[in-house]
Amino acid sequence: MAIRVNPKLIGDLEAFGAEDVSKCYHCGNCSAVCPFSKETHIIPRRSMRYLQMGMEEKLKGSLEPWLCYYCGECSETCPRDAEPGETMMALRRWLTSRYDFTGISRLFYRSGKFEIMAVVVAALLTALGFVLWGMSRGSIHNYDPPNAFLPDSGIHIFDWALAGVLLVLLITNCIRMWWFTIGRDKNLHVPFWIYAKKLFVLPLHFLTQKRYAQCERKRPWLIHLALMLSYVIMLVLIMFFLGFMQDGPSIDWRVHVFGYIATVGLLGTTIFLLTRRIRKTETQYKHSHETDWIFLVLLIVVAFTGILQHILHRSGLDAAANVTYIVHLMGVVPMLGLEVPFSKWSHLAYRPLAMFFSEVRDETELAAEKAAGPVSAPQAM
Amino acid sequence: MSFEPTIVGFLCNWCSYTGADLAGTSRIHYAPNVRVIRVMCTARIDPTFVLKALHDGADGVLICGCHPGDCHYSEGNYKMMRRYPLLKKMLADYGIDEARVRLEWVSASEGQRFADIVDDMTQRVRELGPSPIKEGLARDMAER
Amino acid sequence: MTDECKIGVYVCNCGTNIAKVVDCDAVAEFALDQPGVTVAKSYKYMCSNPGQEMIIEDIKAEGLDRVVVAACSPRMHEPTFRKALQTAGINPYFLEMANIREQCSWVHDDPGEATGKARALTMAAVRRVAYHEPLEKRSVDMNSNVLVIGGGVVGMTAALELAGGGSRVYLVEREDHLGGNVARVDLTAPFLDSARDVVTSLVTRVTENPRIEVLLESEVTSFEGFVGNFETKVVTKGNGAVSSEFQVGNVVVATGYQQFDASRVTHYGYGKLPNVITSFELEQMLRAGCIETKEGRPPHYVAIIHCVGSRSREFHPYCSRVCCMTALKYAHEVRSAVPGCYVSDIYIDMHAFGKGHEDFYRGASEAKTLFLMYGKNDHPVIRKAGPKDDCEMLIEVNEKLSGEVIEIPADLVILMVGMEAQADSEATARLVNISRDKDGWFIESHPKLDPVATTTDGVYIAGACAAPKDIPDSVAQARAAAGRILARSIHGTIEVDAVFAEIDEEKCSGCRICNDLCPYSAIDFDEEKKRSTVISAVCKACGACVAACPSGAITARHFTDRQINAQIEGVLA
Repeated sequence: MAIRVNPKLIGDLEAFGAEDVSKCYHCGNCSAVCPFSKETHIIPRRSMRYLQMGMEEKLKGSLEPWLCYYCGECSETCPRDAEPGETMMALRRWLTSRYDFTGISRLFYRSGKFEIMAVVVAALLTALGFVLWGMSRGSIHNYDPPNAFLPDSGIHIFDWALAGVLLVLLITNCIRMWWFTIGRDKNLHVPFWIYAKKLFVLPLHFLTQKRYAQCERKRPWLIHLALMLSYVIMLVLIMFFLGFMQDGPSIDWRVHVFGYIATVGLLGTTIFLLTRRIRKTETQYKHSHETDWIFLVLLIVVAFTGILQHILHRSGLDAAANVTYIVHLMGVVPMLGLEVPFSKWSHLAYRPLAMFFSEVRDETELAAEKAAGPVSAPQAM
Repeated sequence: MSFEPTIVGFLCNWCSYTGADLAGTSRIHYAPNVRVIRVMCTARIDPTFVLKALHDGADGVLICGCHPGDCHYSEGNYKMMRRYPLLKKMLADYGIDEARVRLEWVSASEGQRFADIVDDMTQRVRELGPSPIKEGLARDMAER
Repeated sequence: MTDECKIGVYVCNCGTNIAKVVDCDAVAEFALDQPGVTVAKSYKYMCSNPGQEMIIEDIKAEGLDRVVVAACSPRMHEPTFRKALQTAGINPYFLEMANIREQCSWVHDDPGEATGKARALTMAAVRRVAYHEPLEKRSVDMNSNVLVIGGGVVGMTAALELAGGGSRVYLVEREDHLGGNVARVDLTAPFLDSARDVVTSLVTRVTENPRIEVLLESEVTSFEGFVGNFETKVVTKGNGAVSSEFQVGNVVVATGYQQFDASRVTHYGYGKLPNVITSFELEQMLRAGCIETKEGRPPHYVAIIHCVGSRSREFHPYCSRVCCMTALKYAHEVRSAVPGCYVSDIYIDMHAFGKGHEDFYRGASEAKTLFLMYGKNDHPVIRKAGPKDDCEMLIEVNEKLSGEVIEIPADLVILMVGMEAQADSEATARLVNISRDKDGWFIESHPKLDPVATTTDGVYIAGACAAPKDIPDSVAQARAAAGRILARSIHGTIEVDAVFAEIDEEKCSGCRICNDLCPYSAIDFDEEKKRSTVISAVCKACGACVAACPSGAITARHFTDRQINAQIEGVLA
């Protein structure tokens, strides 16, 4: 069955950051230099080709964009400056927008202004909501309970509710990702035991980003790992130990230690990445989409206001600390409510899932080959 | 040591010799049994050359010229074409197998064809064995 | 005879070209043992300056009177070594070469057999050279007029160059206008210059030039003679056939190419599907300034298919060279003329070999042309699309860069038809006595080192008639041919080879068998003496008369019976 070529798709992708795809003339240098490219997953050339030919369904079902970590070697090697690295990034953005069933993601990616507006609106609503709530709960001059402006008991419930909402959205997106990449593939019948066998891949990659470490340059992986672990520490503290942070003058020393470590990690890495993007020093930082900036800026604001409110509180300036807390929440809500399900942060789920699905597919094909016998034709591309 | 024939080749300068050179520049390999003598045109070839070659010990004689119509001297190969049947008749009378003397047309761009002809003729003459003239002469000389 | 000579034998190693297979030292040793051989050496590169000087030194020092060089083909370096002999003070015809490269080391792999053959060939050369005679080159008049066959860009360029050098030129064109195939083109790749300007400029300069006589609707019907002294008849149609005769010294064949008939490739539907057109048909549209489907609408999707009739087992195996860049030119032109149109380019390989070509290719990519690759000897198939499709036709291709079978939408398909030799190229070749290769293109004297001359002295070929080529290369060849002719005409006479046939009056019986055999009518019969004589200036030394003479009265200089018999003996010794 011949697949119809659709030359219009490239035009669509331009909003997602793909600019020079047409220049690619398939010399293959990019895939030759890519440390992850292999016969079953030709990165990035196969994705470039599907995109050039407008093979939307093939792209939607492909895992290659998630198996790329933008070391940038391909773009550096490309003799035509076709920016394969940035194209893979654009494809990740596009796939994010496709996995989301609401359509909000697509709007965010296509218009940076829309996303900023959404963030601002969410922030303002948050501010309004919490100010009103805070005023009804306590005094702005009290940071710690009793009579705290923003008591942890209430915030705690809010946090978990927010987490619940975004989890639901994220899980639906993940199911769609599974459907596109494995579920609807009629040639692939994955037995349950393979899913079970490979399940360990999910937490392994989520926590270590092991594959990222296999790139030639280790520093990006280390930075990202530091950022991620700092964030996880912070998340654990907030979700499970929020009370300890508003415990008056006697905050548990362990909360202090982990909190400071996480803060240093968060601020250090995000500011580092921001400067890299501004200075465009390495290949992977040369191109920045609005979603890239928004993500980093939100993270910095949240981390900064997080530590600032702690400092103000410890300095006795509770009112200022509460105001800062409001600002902090103005950052947290869009970050968790918008960035995670609809924008860049969704990669926290898609990347480990991609590794999982990729291994599941490989294992299934291997099992099928073994079952078919020793003679089987190798895959073409 | 199995028998390896020696074949004398008369090649015209413009087409067949150039074609043989082309086989060389194209590195097309063929049997080493043919020794080439260059003439300007096959029209130059006196049938006595063929007889002399056989008399002096050649197991076969190959004559190559331009394709009819393409002769550099316009009709030279036609003259060869006319002499050739008479020559063959004479050779048959002498008891010389008809595969030992051969006329082929090879153009300047037919390097592969030249190689194929040489290989084919070498094989045929190899199968026929040494020329009877050589043995006959040797016997003659011994008897005297 | 050999005993009285002092022969120098030089066995060339040609680097490793010969030495890798043939034991050159052994051949030299063997040669030294032969009677008459004074000196026998094996050396790296005989054609090099030190190599030639070695021969010259030995001739002077050892008093050598004949030289054998066992090396490459005499067609390669016979003139080189003849010159060396001349420099050393002996007649250049005292040279014989043995071909132990093209016909030995390059074609045999067994060193024992190759060396044996090299020995035999060297022996033959040694025996032959003993019978060589000193010959003198002769001088013939060189008529400075030139005949140019073909009035396209090549013919016109050559004519202008020749006229500029002082020659009188007869430019014969069979159509009723000058310009050839380039006159059918709008813009040229890769710089998008106007072809029309180029052609108009040439036509104006040619028609205004007093030294160029243009004969339109004319054909050359006969061409006789030899270099410097040709006689040609040209017939002009029009009001009755007018025949003219000219004397010329040289001729430039610039007959160009014809386009491949696209209807032969049935799976493209040319001639059946109305919107499948050839490149030249698109040129007509471009010249008219309007790209439209047959229904009069601008196309939304345009597809260009490369290699129609070229690079194919079925039609022609060669590449037509210009089509890839022309296709890119169309991609640019279609995008500018019809903005918003999607252009697909369906190719096998992208031949972007020349100046500005890679940039042009890149430019076409930047203009969002979609490039799709199919395999050589594979078939894209064009069919009519269904009523629900948003395009006229669909092209099914087994696309190699993606590995998928795909369908490409197209409202207009442009077939890049290849070049073929003209239908009458065989007749033209016979007319001027040159040869054609298996694809019908005229054969040059040497594909690398002598691309415009032919094996027939005085006949030059230029442009696409020799092989598919683009305008820059064709014009270069036109100028090259003109340059060659002017260089040779400069003295008014030229030296022609000293080889011709001679009749010994004493032996001639006056049977006149030879008279009719000569294709050049170079044999006269003296009615008084009742003897035949050869007009040496006209004789081309084919040897037909020599072999036919029942009295053995005719000798072919440099190809005497004695010399050839000596070779036969040498080869079988």
